[in-house]
Amino acid sequence: MIAISMIFLGSIALMFAGINAEEKKVKPFFTALLALSGIFAFLESKGIMAFDELFVWVPKHMVDFDAFGLQMVGVLSILAAIIINLMPAANRKGADILALMAFSLCGGILMIGAKHLVVLFLGIEVLSIPLFVLAGSDKDNISGNEAALKYFLMGAFSSAIFLLGAAFLYGGSAVMTYQEMFLRLSFSEHFGDFPVLMKAGMILVMVGLLFKVSAVPFHFWSPDVYEGSPNRVTSFMAVIVKIAGFVALAYFMKAFLPMLEWTSNWLLPISAITILGGNIAAFAQKSFKRMLAYSSISHAGYLLLFALTSMQNMSVLGTYLLAYGLSTALLFYLFDKYANGDKNGFEIFTGLTFTNRTDTIALVVATLSIAGIPGTIGFIGKYQLFSTAFGPQFWGVMIALLGSIISIGYYFKPFKYAFRTESDTPNQWNWSWGSFCSVVISSVILALGLFPYLLSLYF
Amino acid sequence: MELIIIPVVAALLSIFTKGNRWINTILAAAGLGVLLLKFGPSNMDYQSGQWVSIVDVPWLSDVVHFHLGLDGISYFLLLLTNILLPLIVFSVNDHRKPSLVPLALVMQAGLNGVFMAKDGLMFYLFWELAMIPIYFITLIYAERDNFVTTVRFFIYTFIGSLGMLASLIYLYTKTPDASFAFESLMSINLGYTESIWVGAGFLLAFAVKIPLFPFHTWQPNTYTYAPAQGSMLLSGIMLKMGLYGLIRWYMPLAGESIPYYQPIIITLAVIGIVYGALIAMRQEDMKRLVAYSSLSHVGLIAAGIMTMTETGLNGALLQMFVHGVNVVGLFMAIDLIQQTYRGRHFAELGGLAKVNRWFTILFFLIIIGTAAAPLTNGFPGEFMLLKSIFDYDTTYVVFAGLTIILCAVYMLRMFQFSMLGEAQEDNKPMALINTLPLVVIAVLVIVVGIFPQWFIEIFEPAVKNILTTISNTKGVMS
Repeated sequence: MIAISMIFLGSIALMFAGINAEEKKVKPFFTALLALSGIFAFLESKGIMAFDELFVWVPKHMVDFDAFGLQMVGVLSILAAIIINLMPAANRKGADILALMAFSLCGGILMIGAKHLVVLFLGIEVLSIPLFVLAGSDKDNISGNEAALKYFLMGAFSSAIFLLGAAFLYGGSAVMTYQEMFLRLSFSEHFGDFPVLMKAGMILVMVGLLFKVSAVPFHFWSPDVYEGSPNRVTSFMAVIVKIAGFVALAYFMKAFLPMLEWTSNWLLPISAITILGGNIAAFAQKSFKRMLAYSSISHAGYLLLFALTSMQNMSVLGTYLLAYGLSTALLFYLFDKYANGDKNGFEIFTGLTFTNRTDTIALVVATLSIAGIPGTIGFIGKYQLFSTAFGPQFWGVMIALLGSIISIGYYFKPFKYAFRTESDTPNQWNWSWGSFCSVVISSVILALGLFPYLLSLYF
Repeated sequence: MELIIIPVVAALLSIFTKGNRWINTILAAAGLGVLLLKFGPSNMDYQSGQWVSIVDVPWLSDVVHFHLGLDGISYFLLLLTNILLPLIVFSVNDHRKPSLVPLALVMQAGLNGVFMAKDGLMFYLFWELAMIPIYFITLIYAERDNFVTTVRFFIYTFIGSLGMLASLIYLYTKTPDASFAFESLMSINLGYTESIWVGAGFLLAFAVKIPLFPFHTWQPNTYTYAPAQGSMLLSGIMLKMGLYGLIRWYMPLAGESIPYYQPIIITLAVIGIVYGALIAMRQEDMKRLVAYSSLSHVGLIAAGIMTMTETGLNGALLQMFVHGVNVVGLFMAIDLIQQTYRGRHFAELGGLAKVNRWFTILFFLIIIGTAAAPLTNGFPGEFMLLKSIFDYDTTYVVFAGLTIILCAVYMLRMFQFSMLGEAQEDNKPMALINTLPLVVIAVLVIVVGIFPQWFIEIFEPAVKNILTTISNTKGVMS
């Protein structure tokens, strides 16, 4: 709760304070705010700090952060800070874009803490509404406007489905909190079958959530929205929305654990087509940004596999999401730096190793990590996820392995251009602020991949 | 532990050496120094045949341990890796390839790890870590824009690796103590069907890497277009990872499936022997010729391993060393020819012997070593391998034995077209300093050829130990 309050109040204050300032002047304050709330969340999760007395007024059965939730809040805040810092600030006055991102982040945090269907809905809406604005924040860009409208319509549509599902669930069980829902379901399981309303409600709520995490076949909006939105916003959507969505989805699925066997029947095929569809479509893309959009779809497929296990060890999910977030943020940073107008294919990286070595390191590390190659945190995440799902969802893991193989084909495409060039420009080390951040993040990716023991200090 | 850290540190240092080949070679030789001084036969007991742990610390929670061990087999292959690396690094004499040496040294760390890993996931990890630098070497310094070749190479090996990973995770889910330790993985008794599936995962990884006959399609192009040092690393050391994996991981872990796979692999290997040799005979490009000859030679080694006899395994290990040394020598000689005379096709060469006396002698020694002439290093290993195949099935040895004849045909053909014949007018002698690594290799050709027992003694007890373990725990008769 401390994180959400800090970010919310701090953002309002900064928005007013920065109303007439250049955006890059307020950026450090936002960074500090996000980083500080992330650190507080982490310290609270380890029991070093406690803020319970401040928040006695919060109903515990509706919003409650357990240790893993707090750790994920920390991850989210830090990743948001990273995204803000990697990308250059827009050349305009006002802190509104950063503030909108922070508000959206508050929604994400609320989703993580949700223990009640209404709070979950509230979280989704708080997360989404600022994003509708952000997607169209580049007003002169026609495809940005299209993205905003598309995102808004799809978001409204999925919210409606979610609400209908929630109503069904309430009708079937007369309760709204996860905990009581779990008890009802265990009770029904004992007698052999689940009420039809519960099943229908579960399906509809999941469809609403799958829209948010863009799983196939509910993904059609995402490549267009990703492509049209400004890079910074896309990066935010791909990282923050996906992480918050998946943590919320995992908690939700945990409440429905007694139904797992029945859920697997239809969620495993969805996971499989998400993996295959995402990877195959990504393979066919010409634009780097669309490729990243489809890649994030395929990652949703892998993550769904985890949601189909008993989820004893949530740190597996945390590691995977952290790895995904770090590498995706880096790749978006590189795209933002080198894409130029219509030039947005893989050839934007031509001769990168000759013009900017620091960014080459970032490109190589981020690519290896997102492809799950050993030595990077991406491998640790994938290995843990696959070995957790290996027993319960064997065929799902086999499809995921197949997907990983396909993914090599497109993730490695930038290498085709990065190391080959005719230019004679000398090798350069380039230390802009963005490059510096990217090298730090690359080192973190490598360090956590080579010494995964460090991860157990966090999770 | 030192064998992993020192190459990594050396790799970092080598970024700043400005391509000085002597300093780079010293950095690469540091691994060999540690190996001989700290883990030499005088300090470690290789005669007991036990796989002795040297490091064991938790790496990822308690499931995966950073667990390294040494026995005669590991030591012998480490010796191969660390002898060849300085030679390969020395042969880099192009300042326009600044990342080559650091990548090669990182690969050295990965290879050292592969040959020592005593934990299933560590083995997988090092296996892939050795793979990444060579991918970048072949990609960055390729002779032409060959993204498709390298990506195919990577995807092929990655498919294999994932098969192995799946098998390892499957075994891990069966272990009573939830661990990837070699002993725990080995202690499981698999049913016949599941052992076949687990074995398939392992064999996929190893067959692609070795490469066995139908899985070799990545190999010729990768070898041909890779920079010379990339080809040396790939064929000299990297192939041995697959063969080592067969001995160390496939046979003990999925031993129940050996009766099923034994005839299949031996047949494929023998097909590969003849097929590789026949194609090598028709090649005009020297590098491609060596690539196919390598396919032929490793086929023989794989067949020898799968006979599951002591002679076969001893011969295979000796031949792994010998093949590594010889093929690196061949690629190095071809690289020198190409550097000095701007080509490596037979049409562009000829009469080089007239201007390069020493080089010709060294090259010839390596060639007859590869062709397994008696008293050179190729002979004892091939003899033992053929003997083991003879014991397994006489029909196979008729075809496998062709390797010696055919090898002599294409090797001598290569020598004849490149070194002998009409000299071209502008031929000039090559720099003698560049042939220094070839001297080391030629010495090894003769020493191993005359005193093979010196080397066999290192790993013989470990081979015995492995065979007894397999027949005890997995009930497979050798």
